[in-house]
Amino acid sequence: MIRKSFFRFSAIVASFFLITQTNLASTDHEPPFLVQAVRSGELPPMSDRLPQNPRIMEIKKQDMQTGKYGGTLRMLMGKEKDIRRMVVFGYSRLVGFDRDLQLTADILESYEVYEGREFIFRLRKGHRWSDGKPFTSDDFRFYWEDVANNDELFPFGPPNTFRVEGELPIVEFPDELTVVYRWSRPNPHFLIELASPRPLFIYMPRHYLESYHPKYGDREALDEQAKSRGSRNWSGFFLKKARQYKLTNPELPSLQPWVNTTSPPAERYIFKRNPFFHRVDENRLQLPYIDQVQINIVSSSLIPAKAGAGESDLQGHYLRLDNFTFLKEGEQRNGYDVLLWKTLNGAHKALYPNLNSRDEVWRNLVRNVRFRRALSLAVNRREINQVIYYGLANESSNTVLPDSIFYGNEMQRWARYDLQEANALLDSIGLEERNDRGLRLMSDGRPLEVIIHTAGESTEETDILELIHDSLLKIGIKVYTKPSQREVFRDRIFSGDVMMSVWTGLENALPTAEISPGELAPTRQDQYQWSRWGQYHETGGEVGEEPDLPKVRQLYNLYRQWSEITDAQQRQKIWSEMLQIYTDEVFNIGIVNAVPQPIVINDKLKNIPVKGLYAWFPTSYFGIYSPDTFWFDE
Amino acid sequence: MRTHYVSEAPFDPHSVEKLTPEQEKLYLASQWQLMWLKLKQHRLAVGSSIVLAIIYFMALFCEFLSPYNLHTRHTDYIYAPPQQVHLFHDGSFVGPFVYGYNYQLNMENLKREYTSDTQNIQKLRFFCRGDEYKFWGLVETDVHFVCPASDGYLFLFGTDRLGRDMYSRILYGAKISLTIGLVGIALSFVLGIVIGGIAGYFGGLIDNIIQRLIEILRSFPELPLWMALSATLPVTWSPILVFFGITLILALLDWTGLARAVRSKLLSLREEDYCTAAQLMGAKPKRIIGRHLLPGFMSHLIASASLSIPGMILGETALSFLGLGLRPPITSWGVLLNEAQNINVVALYPWLMLPVVPVIIVILAFNFLGDGLRDAADPYK
Repeated sequence: MIRKSFFRFSAIVASFFLITQTNLASTDHEPPFLVQAVRSGELPPMSDRLPQNPRIMEIKKQDMQTGKYGGTLRMLMGKEKDIRRMVVFGYSRLVGFDRDLQLTADILESYEVYEGREFIFRLRKGHRWSDGKPFTSDDFRFYWEDVANNDELFPFGPPNTFRVEGELPIVEFPDELTVVYRWSRPNPHFLIELASPRPLFIYMPRHYLESYHPKYGDREALDEQAKSRGSRNWSGFFLKKARQYKLTNPELPSLQPWVNTTSPPAERYIFKRNPFFHRVDENRLQLPYIDQVQINIVSSSLIPAKAGAGESDLQGHYLRLDNFTFLKEGEQRNGYDVLLWKTLNGAHKALYPNLNSRDEVWRNLVRNVRFRRALSLAVNRREINQVIYYGLANESSNTVLPDSIFYGNEMQRWARYDLQEANALLDSIGLEERNDRGLRLMSDGRPLEVIIHTAGESTEETDILELIHDSLLKIGIKVYTKPSQREVFRDRIFSGDVMMSVWTGLENALPTAEISPGELAPTRQDQYQWSRWGQYHETGGEVGEEPDLPKVRQLYNLYRQWSEITDAQQRQKIWSEMLQIYTDEVFNIGIVNAVPQPIVINDKLKNIPVKGLYAWFPTSYFGIYSPDTFWFDE
Repeated sequence: MRTHYVSEAPFDPHSVEKLTPEQEKLYLASQWQLMWLKLKQHRLAVGSSIVLAIIYFMALFCEFLSPYNLHTRHTDYIYAPPQQVHLFHDGSFVGPFVYGYNYQLNMENLKREYTSDTQNIQKLRFFCRGDEYKFWGLVETDVHFVCPASDGYLFLFGTDRLGRDMYSRILYGAKISLTIGLVGIALSFVLGIVIGGIAGYFGGLIDNIIQRLIEILRSFPELPLWMALSATLPVTWSPILVFFGITLILALLDWTGLARAVRSKLLSLREEDYCTAAQLMGAKPKRIIGRHLLPGFMSHLIASASLSIPGMILGETALSFLGLGLRPPITSWGVLLNEAQNINVVALYPWLMLPVVPVIIVILAFNFLGDGLRDAADPYK
């Protein structure tokens, strides 16, 4: 009896303490933005919104300051499609890169890898989607069983990353918080894909999406609903609802720091803080600090002007080095700072001769390594660097940066400016004959007139091409520039209509041996020098062509070898060897790299490094610097 | 006694009616002479025609008059501001010269900063040797009217982002921009007279069809139609072909107004007796229109044509400005302005917008001249 009442008493005391504690928490730590909703009971208090073991961001340890809540971060984007950048910037990943480019668990509490082929993921207990529903292994199961392996949604089966030599993993869900992927051979791409700027989403909010899935509902009713909303059948409608990357569906629950609240089309997108986000700072403040992100869509040519007028709090996209002077002028007046970050591309701009061109004569010509080398030798990189990049860029072929462990001077062998040798190379492959304008004649008598396509996004490319035009003319090749639009540009390359194109070079010029050397081998369709060979790999040989150049095959075989071994040293060796071949064969013609990128930030915005790396991969632009830890000091 | 004053001069009964030599000239003058007399009195028109003559002259001899070639780049002098021509240095006469630049790249804001170096006096040379060019595509030579001092430079209007001299580029651009107006008008003149002439002379069904065609053509919004047509020009066309393509596009859309004027004039003139006489004598329509009817209002046509040249020039400039007309390496004022449309230019390098000035001058001059011609075309008013 006494014991019982004691228990009751202690329960009351305990609950009293709990209540005061949560009350304390809600007054101290609750973001003011959410206080109203918490008071009215719309949202549970913060302690219930966070996972039991949230990810604690080590802000002070990295010499930054812990901040305070509040504010709206304004950004400018040139196209509506760009709202997907919020997934890149938000950088909430199962595993992601930290600032030192090491993989760390983020959404996951922890993960284990055995022999590079068995992956055990452990989720955080109490982790919730942005709508407050629990995030569990069931969401992984839903994706794996009902989406990736549904032949109406994925007619070719799960995405390529899941295939190791064609083999799919065995996926198990031992309990609510554990997911296991197991292959019989190593899959080195898996974790990297999860940490990518455009991550592989291997989970989906089941509670929201199952009502659009015929396994959990009436197929006919779903088809009908889909038709009335303009989709062909349920699968189209399902995919439209489930776009975790494109962010076009504001209803879709998310794990990102900010959640889209605007349905397209719109000119202003508001992203609000995710009240269930799983990261906290060292003071136990729930991240993100900033309440809202506002993305204004304006014409891309106006973005430098608007950024210079202080209309953006964080801007890197659509700013170019030649805007730097202009941006600097307004720095004091309009309350922002301009930083120069370093870009990580193997080449800031590179020429891609199309080895899969439909024009047979041209195709045979560009498949000749001497022709490609001659082109590369005829590019006056020094002049381009001085004229366009203030001499600040690094004149280089499309390869790794000089800081990289894989760098070697022999990689620049064909990146010199040597018209004499270029002419000699061209003469040696039967292009001696010239017409009355001094242009060399191809084997069928046509003059060597090369149309170089650009995506038409910047005058920088046209300027470079104008400079290249003059030096190529000296070796008897006439260059025309054809600007178009990005989609048209890609489609025309894929169809083989394009002779040569300009695009950025390797995405990651500071690789480690653990990162896949896939960029150096034909593995993707959007490798513009061999899109059909890349497509062949991507589709498992169903579409495209098998590479038939010996050196390209060698690259491809090396890439496969890399995928099969886990030994770091051997991987390094393969990386070096592939880079050797890639640069010696000049599969594309890099011009400069390490071009500084101006970044405009509001001068009250804290925790952004002054020197940073600005790249798509591996840094996801601002992603690895965790914009959720940025805050306004006002 | 009263005396009367009597003139002792012999009496000439025609004295009142007699014409002064000026009047005589006026009454006996042909229509063209009359126009000329009238035009001479229109000061603005005379001034404009002198300006135009000078500008066309410069365009004609642009290779000779410009210090550099169109594509000569000075990569050490990118975005250099305009230099001023001086005559005196420290109070003593030196002759025309420019000061050299002190250049430094400000690493703080990456600004290319130029200041005049008053120690570095670069005397201009005249009738000197410089970049080689082919004069009118015929004679290879390297003589220029003005050159910088040897080892010096001369950027009267500054340089652009590739270090090309803006003054030379504007001169070369004039050649294209000004001829496109003339060639275009010539084309639309022919089209307008032939089609309008047919409509006016024959009338009836033919007139009806042509009139509806004109209405359809005129009902299209001009700019989108230009854009659509110029987008169809293939890339591989050489710049010269593109140039003619653009002229053709402009001309194809411009003839309608002229055709209407020709038609209405012809409709009234064909009822005249001399026209009937010619018909009765068995003249063919071609001869009647060309020989008897057109000269009756040729002056009017010329006036209206000179008024539509500026439209052509502006059309080309607009198309090129939008990036749909001429493309580099062909250089017209529109192309130059197209390159100047970004925030950096407005804020930092305003001299790149200089091609606006000749456009305005030429358009105004043509308008004033056309105005004078129109007045002169009707000398008896």
